[in-house]
Amino acid sequence: MNFKILQFIALAFSTLVILQASLGTLLFTRLVGLTPHDVNLYYGDKSLHGLLEVILPHTLFIAIALMAVLHFLAFIQTIDPRTKAKAVYLLFPLFFLDQFSPLLISMGLEFFAIIKLGAFIGFQVMLIWVWIMIFKQTQKTLG
Amino acid sequence: MKFLASQKLSDNSVMRSIIIGMLLSLILAMVLSLSAKGIDYGVSPNEWINTVLGNEAEFIDPMSFNDLLLGIHTDLFALILTFILIASVTARRGRSRVLMMGFLTLSLLSLLAYPIGMLFSSIIGSSGVILSLGGFIVFHLLMIIGGLDSLIGLLRKKF
Repeated sequence: MNFKILQFIALAFSTLVILQASLGTLLFTRLVGLTPHDVNLYYGDKSLHGLLEVILPHTLFIAIALMAVLHFLAFIQTIDPRTKAKAVYLLFPLFFLDQFSPLLISMGLEFFAIIKLGAFIGFQVMLIWVWIMIFKQTQKTLG
Repeated sequence: MKFLASQKLSDNSVMRSIIIGMLLSLILAMVLSLSAKGIDYGVSPNEWINTVLGNEAEFIDPMSFNDLLLGIHTDLFALILTFILIASVTARRGRSRVLMMGFLTLSLLSLLAYPIGMLFSSIIGSSGVILSLGGFIVFHLLMIIGGLDSLIGLLRKKF
């Protein structure tokens, strides 16, 4: 009984986080677009103030959210430390590239549109992978 | 989080004070979040429905999908973090397992109902908005109750 409820709580929380990431992706797709041309067009016109309005809350909240997510990963002993390190060393740089590429795009460095898209997709995929890993290992541990 | 739940808080006066401060801030944030939503969307189901879906008779335009997405995305960020922080302290409170499971399950379900109701309101209409409003209010009330319960427990050095 307790195990089933715990499983349900873990599933509901994972759904919530995945929903949040999906909402961000949907918003990005609708507002910006998914081609380097769209990205250049969107960020090329933005003022520094407009960019900071997006970068600031994301930097603040994602720092806390990543800490919360990765701390779950750190405490799971059945995951190889090298795999944990890979997740940490990839997620933070991808996040920084994703958030700060728009500043460089607005300065005229159009090449960063490709980096922005790559980092954005990479970050989302990595985050989902980390959640799946946490969920699978938690199921194993509880089982 | 683990470091919040790994030590007996009543033995560590600094940690206890920090968490009391955090809980007070989070409870205040929940009250402010309810008030802000009341100002933005209204305080009755009808006002929420008019704001989200619009009302031709009163010449109110529906909210654009992009604005709706942005609103949910921003709210959810703050609400998930609040849930993680309050739940991690409340879990140490020492209440019965059944009560704790109920608290966590109901909190998560109500938090899921808020974005899902909003997202599907264009398909299922006003029921979606009402589901969303219900989820939003229940989640906030649970966080305030859980936060206050933990706060009282900490002040009385119960855990």
